[in-house]
Amino acid sequence: MSMRFAAWRETLTGYAFISPFLLGFLIFTAFPIAASLYLSFTDYNLFSPPSWVGLEQYQTMFTGDPKFWKSLRVTFIYVFAGVPLRLSFALLVALLLNRASRAIGVYRTVYYLPSIIGGSVAVSIMWRNLYGDEGVINKALNFFGLESVRWFADPLAALWMLITLSVWQFGSSMLIFLAGLKNIPPSLYEAASVDGANVLQRFIRITMPMLTPVVLFNLIMQTIAAFMTFIPAYIISKGEGGPLDGTLLYSLYLFRRAFVFYDMGYAAAMAWVLLTIVALLTALVFFTSKYWVFYETKED
Amino acid sequence: MLLLTALLAIALAACGGGAKNAEDGGSGEGGSPQASGNASGGSSDGGSKDPEPVTLRIAWWGSQPRHDYTLQVIEMYQQKHPHVKLEPEYANFDDYWKKLAPQAAANDLPDIIQMDISYISQYGANGQLEDLTPYLGSIINIDHISENAISGGKIGDKLYGFNIGVNTIQFQYDPELLKRLGVDTLDENWTWDDYYELAGKASEAGLYFDSGFRPEVFFGYYLRTKGQHLYSPDGTSLGYDDDQLFIDFFAPLAKLVADGDAPTPDVKAQVKGLEDDLLVKGQQVGIWQWTNQFVALQQVANRPLEMHHMPGPNREQGLYLKPSMYFSISKNSKHKEEAARFIDFWVNDIEANKLIKGDRGVPVNSQVIEAVKPTLDPALVKVFDYVAWAQENSSPMDPPDPPGAAEVIALFKEVTEAMDFGKLSPEDAAKRFREEANAILTKNK
Repeated sequence: MSMRFAAWRETLTGYAFISPFLLGFLIFTAFPIAASLYLSFTDYNLFSPPSWVGLEQYQTMFTGDPKFWKSLRVTFIYVFAGVPLRLSFALLVALLLNRASRAIGVYRTVYYLPSIIGGSVAVSIMWRNLYGDEGVINKALNFFGLESVRWFADPLAALWMLITLSVWQFGSSMLIFLAGLKNIPPSLYEAASVDGANVLQRFIRITMPMLTPVVLFNLIMQTIAAFMTFIPAYIISKGEGGPLDGTLLYSLYLFRRAFVFYDMGYAAAMAWVLLTIVALLTALVFFTSKYWVFYETKED
Repeated sequence: MLLLTALLAIALAACGGGAKNAEDGGSGEGGSPQASGNASGGSSDGGSKDPEPVTLRIAWWGSQPRHDYTLQVIEMYQQKHPHVKLEPEYANFDDYWKKLAPQAAANDLPDIIQMDISYISQYGANGQLEDLTPYLGSIINIDHISENAISGGKIGDKLYGFNIGVNTIQFQYDPELLKRLGVDTLDENWTWDDYYELAGKASEAGLYFDSGFRPEVFFGYYLRTKGQHLYSPDGTSLGYDDDQLFIDFFAPLAKLVADGDAPTPDVKAQVKGLEDDLLVKGQQVGIWQWTNQFVALQQVANRPLEMHHMPGPNREQGLYLKPSMYFSISKNSKHKEEAARFIDFWVNDIEANKLIKGDRGVPVNSQVIEAVKPTLDPALVKVFDYVAWAQENSSPMDPPDPPGAAEVIALFKEVTEAMDFGKLSPEDAAKRFREEANAILTKNK
């Protein structure tokens, strides 16, 4: 009896210790998720109570809202162009920083800085100015004898602004790549050198295969983050997703539906569709990973 | 991912937090020494009951100068009414509405809410606002306020907002830049054709003529000159049937943009604020906007600017006076009478209006206008005189915009942007606007 009481007590103590997290999770995460699922089946304008409409919001989204498809298209371009660029850039910088030098600590800090401040409003505003008609980018183009580009006049050019901003925030992937590089045993490289492999061969035959688990991790994390990008699009387009919906990322359109047009039911439904898309893509990446990710331990 | 799915619900959570803070604020105020001190002071007068300490939340949108003087007026009110504490909540126009809607959902609207003509029916029809009719005369003194000015806040027979300033539309311009087009003065009775011809000369002079027209305002004016209206009287559809009207209004404007006489949307998108406005920088002759905006423009440009009438024909039929904004009282307010008392102070107190000046439109109280006018800058006097002129040369305004107007306005912006980029013909724009706007408005049935 006392044994069971002691065990029960121990369990309770455990729960008591994690209760701050549990409460926070239930109130601020679990409940809102459930509420948004419920709202996605309703028509809710914030003023009158939600009214049940079943699958109507989903139906409108797929059959009666060209903007939904437009925002999806913009988001896919953003993700599928932005993430590979960002990861390649992160890997390149990681390779450069993966060498012994006295100032290496300083370099690493400097290159990581953009991703600390990257999500902030100030950087997005700076980005607007860089790409302005009189901005640094156009001045640089002129310097090399090229014509100015009207970045805010063309939907794809405006999206390119967002993509370059995301590439610039490569710091966190870079750090993870760097850790991955440090974990590759030097003996492999030594052996390869003895066999006469050059730099490129060493990179393709040793570095890349050894790094694939890290690539997988970065790919998934960055893809998910890219789908959720909101702040830069919101700031750079002044909350409207222009020009001609060129920067109308999915989450920005969702936000506009919810807080500009007071269409909460529709916005909630959009959130669940996005969740489904990201889940499917993540599953796909996991599924294909067994064909391209190399795990040392599995090797016989 | 969790973050995103939770995005909507964040609003719910935020509202919960907001409500709690408001309660805390209220109870804290009751126990403050200042409030109890005043209460005992009041009791020595004998007879009348001590006023209970009251906390009122007041919300408005605007820019920094407006925030500054509004806070001063609040301070002034608190000195005169020591039992009242006013808690300000302010933001810019766009953010203001994003914040207000979740507050409405949580039954936690501020007591006094600055209201806009595009939102008042949405909030009123959904039972968020108090009908102010019973307060007229009893708490809000309307001896010197015309019936016309008051009725601008009516939806049906309910008064959901009290007009706190009168506005009309006009052309504001720099006479020196106009001269560079070879014109000294604008004709009193100019027409749209005169305007197209004159504006068409701008690019040759290395200027823009104007920055375009906010479609929901100026297309509305244009329709009125043709005896039509933007919205149907019941607000369930557009008020005009002939797409040719849309084409006639927007096609020449798109041409001005294409010819370089008016800036393209991307150039306008890069204007960060009034400080680098194209007119302020001397690159643009004029701007079409509300009379109350003249003062700020004049101040920032810091050189003589002039104002001129809208183009005709049928200007008098098209032109109207409109409440530039209202103060509304929320249904959930626990101190509606105190809130009404503040509105009374705002519209009728002369000293307060010497601070407010004409920033929220020309005051509605005729005595206030007389008392304040001698203290004003010349630019403001011009605004007051213009609105007085418009009073005699305009027609009654349309009813406030129906619910969903915010979405129609966004749609307007989208199709005009596409036209100005040359990606959408005025004919297709007219058709698309009609279809999508009607789809939005039909929800009001």
